Amino acid sequence: MRAVSPSEITRADDRELHETLERVWGDRPGLVGWITTTDHKRIALRYIVTTFVFFLLGGLNAGLMRLQLSRPENDFLGPDAYNQVFTVHGMTMMFLFAVPMMLALGLYFVPLMVGARNVAYPRLNAFGYWVFLIGCLLLYTGFLTNTGPDAGWFSYVPLAGPGFSPGKRSDIWAQTVTFTEVSGLIAAVEIIATVFKHRAPGMSLNRMPLFVWAMLVTAFMTIYSMPWVASASLFLASDRLVGTHFFNPAEGGDALLWQHLFWFFGHPEVYIIFIPATGLVSQLVSGFTRRPVYGYPVMVLANIMQGFLAFGLWVHHMFATTVPQLGSSFFTATSAMIAIPAGIQIFCWLATIWHGKPQFRAAFLFVLGFIVVFVTGGLSGVMISSVPFDTQVHDSYFIVAHFHYVLLGALFPFFGAVYYWFPKLTGRMLSERLGYWHFGLFFVGVNVTFFPMHFLGLAGMPRRVYTYIAETGWGNLNLLASAGAVLIVGSVAVLLVNFFRALRRGDRAPDNPWRAETLEWATASPPPSYSFLHIPVVEGRSPLWERSERRPVVTGLSTEVRDTLVTTLVDALPDSRHYDPRPSAAPLYAALALGITFITLIFTPWGLPIGGAVFFLGMVRWAWPTLRSYREQLRYEEGKA
Amino acid sequence: MTAAFDPADRADLDVSGLPTTVFGPRDIMWWGVLGFMTIEGMTLVVAVASYFYLWRQPGTWPPEHTLLPSLGWPTVHVVFLVASNLVMMRVSRVAHRLDLAALRRWMLVATACSIVMVPLRWLDFLALNVRWDTNAYGSIAWLTVGLHGTLLVTNTAEMLVFTTILHLRPTERHFTDAADSAFYWYYMTLVWVPLYVMVYWGPRFL
Repeated sequence: MRAVSPSEITRADDRELHETLERVWGDRPGLVGWITTTDHKRIALRYIVTTFVFFLLGGLNAGLMRLQLSRPENDFLGPDAYNQVFTVHGMTMMFLFAVPMMLALGLYFVPLMVGARNVAYPRLNAFGYWVFLIGCLLLYTGFLTNTGPDAGWFSYVPLAGPGFSPGKRSDIWAQTVTFTEVSGLIAAVEIIATVFKHRAPGMSLNRMPLFVWAMLVTAFMTIYSMPWVASASLFLASDRLVGTHFFNPAEGGDALLWQHLFWFFGHPEVYIIFIPATGLVSQLVSGFTRRPVYGYPVMVLANIMQGFLAFGLWVHHMFATTVPQLGSSFFTATSAMIAIPAGIQIFCWLATIWHGKPQFRAAFLFVLGFIVVFVTGGLSGVMISSVPFDTQVHDSYFIVAHFHYVLLGALFPFFGAVYYWFPKLTGRMLSERLGYWHFGLFFVGVNVTFFPMHFLGLAGMPRRVYTYIAETGWGNLNLLASAGAVLIVGSVAVLLVNFFRALRRGDRAPDNPWRAETLEWATASPPPSYSFLHIPVVEGRSPLWERSERRPVVTGLSTEVRDTLVTTLVDALPDSRHYDPRPSAAPLYAALALGITFITLIFTPWGLPIGGAVFFLGMVRWAWPTLRSYREQLRYEEGKA
Repeated sequence: MTAAFDPADRADLDVSGLPTTVFGPRDIMWWGVLGFMTIEGMTLVVAVASYFYLWRQPGTWPPEHTLLPSLGWPTVHVVFLVASNLVMMRVSRVAHRLDLAALRRWMLVATACSIVMVPLRWLDFLALNVRWDTNAYGSIAWLTVGLHGTLLVTNTAEMLVFTTILHLRPTERHFTDAADSAFYWYYMTLVWVPLYVMVYWGPRFL
């Protein structure tokens, strides 16, 4: 049998192939290799590590807030610092952690799950990461120099406009968003093209793993939603920099336009986090019950339905504005409708667990935690989809409780995925025992922190106040919430200990430690640079569970250059071959040029021509073929390479 | 061409005979072009949505003391843009024929067309007869013309680089890229015609 994973090699020609492929697909050693790599696994791992660091920083901001609110009239943080802390907390968690982390998991695992050696546009992928990193550094440079955005993560005008936010804080908001949206859009295009054209032969659309489906829907949502906030941030930046009047009612503009543009992006954004989480839950449920998830077609359709409905909900963030009543009723109905696909998913997972033999590993506990936490958040969501109730609790801690239940609901599957995929990423097993501690502390911590906030909201505590007086009677519940936050910090500390312990002396991970069904487990842990020694031919929905006497593989791809297989969209029939370019530092140069453009634009409109010229040079460097790659491509096209 | 492939056949699948130069949806780069068209298209949708949202605000459109946009140069430009598609159709045809000499000639013509449209776009701005910072009407009109202008300028830069590479280091891959350039050009035309109607004719009727 031909090997797919290097750990299965028995034949001499496969051993030779392994060495050849390592030469062709591997990066150059040292710093040069680090800078020039276009390997989707290395780049996605970078995204994962970067976003996780910002998750810790965002969590630190949350800790500062809980410390400040733990008792009445606390003077630990002043109002100005508090405004920056809650704004940067929200931005970090949404723009620098949750969305890019989900997309990063997609960039790592989608190519592996569909049996591809790399993503569709490897250099563009590297460019996306560098752009993202520049955006992250911009935000925190601003924050650490007392220029952190302070008008909330949704940066409402007129507060964020030129009249009420002098200085550069709102401009840093606008450009951070631009950087992260550019990288998010790039990741989305990568995922769609990889799923459509690089699936292994035989993996027709109806055989794709549910996580891949979830990422496909997410990528489409990204493409249709992120341009709205990117455009809105352009409007805001130009109102502030060159005196346009998009949001200025005195000159025919309108402040509510901002809210429409922002939430037309902002609501789908929540689903861009949630839908991949449902994909993760599906993989975890099948992995730990040893059953394919019940109701595959309806699970796919549920994701697609969520994708569509997500674009019909944005006005429910604006019930407290002057939206016409009929409009509000429509959005109440669509908001309540989202419970239908979510309900279908929950019941399909429960049915799978019911019929399977669940193994209560740490990863699986997070799935169970997700179901409890997410259903709680979903129920309060149904409550606030009602206009009269929403107008009562709008901008109160009830809303804070609701969206943290929903968003942390999505964090549970993410943590589950950490336990599930850590062996694949690093070749080491995490400790189950520490995993149980992590889960227990986190589950209790989340509920102790956020459940009391429902009551605080009903008692009238508004969001975003930096302190409150003792007579309000909110002190005890706030103290309880802060105590819960300590548990959450403890749970994350346990996770970090688990990481370092596993990396130093964790058990070595086999190719498929969970005996799961999907293709990422068909190769070594961690995967080699070329991912699969031979690209497998897929014969069913659960490729590693199909009993096959002789597993067919793809042969005939060039071993002298990075030759990739392109397949047809629906049936994944082999259709053509595509030459992937060599690793290059050009994406880094282009990202730096774009960084210069956007950052200069914070200070002067001349950033556009100056940055445009620099960016043009960066793109020329990118597009221009070196003599070596030119000759290589000619040989490839002549069939000699 | 699709390789004979039957999943029930348990033999290994030899793909060495598959083509390396394909066009349209069969080509991986075509999907990238389509992806970025969709993203750019969405930003134009935001501009259109904002245009009509601002039009619905109290007051006249355009606001009092603001001149209507002129029609002269913008109309010349839109006619030129539509006509230039004949050039791009030629580009696409010779690219599909893998005719390098003809492709080089027609790409030079196409690049020249693209360069001509950059000053024409500047005249489009002047024809708005309003500054971006006069009122919200001026802001959204400048933004709409400007957003599409970035497509024109970026496309011109790309055409320049691409045509140079085509003359100095051509490969078969460039036939596919040229066909994709034509595809992008059709898109630029398709989105500009309704935007032109909205920006230059809209204020006369709204």
